Amino acid sequence: MLKLTINGRTHEIDVDGDTPLLWAIRDEVGLTGTKFGCGIGACGACTVLLEGEPTRSCVLPMSAVAGRSITTIEGLSADKSHPVQKAWIAESVPQCGYCQSGMILTAAALLKRKPHPTDKDIDSAMTNLCRCGTYDRARRAIHRAAGA
Amino acid sequence: MPPRTTSPRSSIPAAPIPALGITRRDFVRSAGALGAGLVLGIQLPADRAVGQENAPASAAKAAPPRAPSAFLHIAPDDTITLVTPSVEMGQGGHTALPMILMEELGGDWKRLKVEDAPAAAVFNNPIFGVQVTAGSFSVRGWYSELRRTGAAGREMLISAAAQQWGVPASDCTAVNSIITHAPSGRTCTYGSVAAVAAALPVPAQPALKTGRFALIGTSPLRVDLADKVDGSAQYGIDVKLPGMLYGAVKTCPTLGGTLKAFDDARARQTPGFHTTVALPDGVVVVARSYWQAKKALALVTVDYDLGALAGVDSAKVSQRLYDGFNEKGTVARDDGNVDAAFANVASTGPASGAGSGFLAAAQAAGAPTLEAVYEVPFLAHACMEPMNCTVRSDEGGAEVWCGTQSPQVAQHAAATVLGLAPDKVRVNTLYLGGGFGRRGEADYVAQAAAAAKAAGKPVKLIWTREEDIQHDFYRPAAAIKFRAALDGEKTLKALECNIVTASKPTFAFPGPPFYTEGVYNLSYAIPNLRVTGVDKNIGVRFGFWRSVNESHNPFMLEGFMDEIAHQVGQDPYQFRRSMLLHPEAARLLGVLDAVAEKSGWGHPKPGHALGLAAFEAFGSYIGSVVEVSVKDKAVTLHKVVTVIDCGVAIHPDNIRAQLEGGMVYGLAAVLRGEITLDNGAVKQSNFTDYPLLTMTEMPRTESYIMPSTAPPGGIGEPGTGPIAPALANAIYAATGTRVRSLPLSKHGFTFSVARA
Repeated sequence: MLKLTINGRTHEIDVDGDTPLLWAIRDEVGLTGTKFGCGIGACGACTVLLEGEPTRSCVLPMSAVAGRSITTIEGLSADKSHPVQKAWIAESVPQCGYCQSGMILTAAALLKRKPHPTDKDIDSAMTNLCRCGTYDRARRAIHRAAGA
Repeated sequence: MPPRTTSPRSSIPAAPIPALGITRRDFVRSAGALGAGLVLGIQLPADRAVGQENAPASAAKAAPPRAPSAFLHIAPDDTITLVTPSVEMGQGGHTALPMILMEELGGDWKRLKVEDAPAAAVFNNPIFGVQVTAGSFSVRGWYSELRRTGAAGREMLISAAAQQWGVPASDCTAVNSIITHAPSGRTCTYGSVAAVAAALPVPAQPALKTGRFALIGTSPLRVDLADKVDGSAQYGIDVKLPGMLYGAVKTCPTLGGTLKAFDDARARQTPGFHTTVALPDGVVVVARSYWQAKKALALVTVDYDLGALAGVDSAKVSQRLYDGFNEKGTVARDDGNVDAAFANVASTGPASGAGSGFLAAAQAAGAPTLEAVYEVPFLAHACMEPMNCTVRSDEGGAEVWCGTQSPQVAQHAAATVLGLAPDKVRVNTLYLGGGFGRRGEADYVAQAAAAAKAAGKPVKLIWTREEDIQHDFYRPAAAIKFRAALDGEKTLKALECNIVTASKPTFAFPGPPFYTEGVYNLSYAIPNLRVTGVDKNIGVRFGFWRSVNESHNPFMLEGFMDEIAHQVGQDPYQFRRSMLLHPEAARLLGVLDAVAEKSGWGHPKPGHALGLAAFEAFGSYIGSVVEVSVKDKAVTLHKVVTVIDCGVAIHPDNIRAQLEGGMVYGLAAVLRGEITLDNGAVKQSNFTDYPLLTMTEMPRTESYIMPSTAPPGGIGEPGTGPIAPALANAIYAATGTRVRSLPLSKHGFTFSVARA
């Protein structure tokens, strides 16, 4: 049994220690907003906040996160009210939407660290891949959220 | 910045659409699954499928099948449900189709509910003839029918209210699901009279809106959008059933290889292991969790028969394409007399009035002709959501959950594997984490069905990214050999295009060879034009990749057009323009002029250069101008300006999103996209060696939509094609280096974008 806190709730999860956090969150805890994209930490669809830091959960074994605190997209706000979520809606960012949980969490962490990020800050923080090409709108949404 | 705000009122006048003579028996009414209230669907007469005039040549020539309908349900609680035949993969179908319906229905947008249609022939696309969300056909296919369905519903609801009140229907109006009888001031909601309306005759010729649209041409929040910011949107991969197991799959690395034998002794010892399933071309391991299945799968040793593609590498594919140039091929188009034109320019000798460059060289050689070969590689779709499918099966039937562009194809794939009649298989479509043509296939559905059958329990099968990249249905590798005959008047006398493809669809399309699309139907007026196609299908699975033939043929054709323009000393814009002055090219000419104007064509900033491409695709007309500066081989992309004429613009903001997204999809391919083969196996495996575009590389874009009242054209795919030729042409303008094959990385170019 591995213990960790997800979105403020403590879970005891019965998986092998080498199981990536991603699959524990999705299949054991049942929070499916965190997505599987590449399995090698390259695309960022699986991004969660580990103690507030954007972290790719598909390559993070459960044994390494036991006892720590995780925020997933479901925990960002209860009602889509986080400034980044509101900005994401206002700019109509998502298309297929599959990468967006990771994008939004990464953007939220960026804004916490840097409330008024430059384009360059956005470029270096937002390394999530999006096949639909929502980058321009995501950038606008981050600036919008920063202005809010 | 492009105009992003959309006025709350639409500026699009409602153009009349032809009456289709719908008879009462052509309406389908069933109050089955949707419960009480008004249920409406429309069937069009078999010979009058709408939108044909707007279909690509290949589709228009096919005899349109009986084209039935979308279904509208209005519940007593005022909920308006559209069971939409278009799945949602980010292209906006779940919003655009209801908008068309609601425009005529006069329904309250806030009470709208959208449901995905099950697999059923009744949802076959009126143009395409099959139930598939592809080919940029959703709005094109359903536009007229949804308008009539909405209008019929509105008339019936008004009649019902008028009847109850004992007043003439003509005195009643309906807005936002509220019917008003102005003389008496009485009102009621749609839901309150839905049951009465359901008993009324269906109007054979419902009156469609004239005047201005209220909803079409505005940009309401996309129906699917809000659930995509909090993780609540459900994709195929998110399905969870009681007692469900997980499957991991591995198939023969060599494409087309088959399974000979496997040994799973070690896998069986691992925790959570349930069963190993033999597939025709690989194995699935089913276990209690996905991670356990994946780990166990890695311990299975597999012996394959490598099949016909063993020994094939990319050099061989390329050689095969070039060999195709020596074959006669199938004539797709033959205007004028191409051979005589070439003989004529050869015999008349050097062209007069020519400037420097090619013609000077041609003059020296005494043959004012130009020849070039273009080539493109195989490409993978790389949807962000890896292929996956969940199947539950028992003796009585089965259920499938997945993201699919083709519910009936998924249904048949599962039914075949399970030995069931197709109607015993229910397909539940969820959001698609990208489709781009990949999810029109159902290989992953068949695998999941096989796994569920063998396991005797529901199984969710999930592909790895590696499996996804290495077992795609690939955009074909292809090449074109062009030959042009030029005269002294700086015009193109004759053009010959020999198109060779390395793969093609498994089913035949009527008309000219499928893979010549985007060339044989070019819009330029060229007196002598011959387009031939040579099929050098090597057996790599063909894929409908976003924009299909228009993803690569315009790169080659518009690149060569640019070459001709430069060689005859003409401005690339004016050269194209001079061949688009005929009436059939009016809309493309409008786009060309607009994109030239918006991009400041002819006046690049110092040190900058512009490249242009424009063509028709998916019933729309599109043009892009790319602005670059190049130092050595370092390309800086400053801006991409795109103009589209897609007829009536249903949801302008979504159209702009599709133009941006389509361009990004194309740009990733232009820069680095390449699937190469070694011993018949795909060498790329993940985003490390099949890289997508990144945020850092997203260029500044401006997208404009031409005002139009023409029937809608496609918007999901046209945006992908222009970036390749426009960028290559801009690089030529900047450097004098002509790029005739992709990706650019192969030619040593590096890439960055400039921010404003």
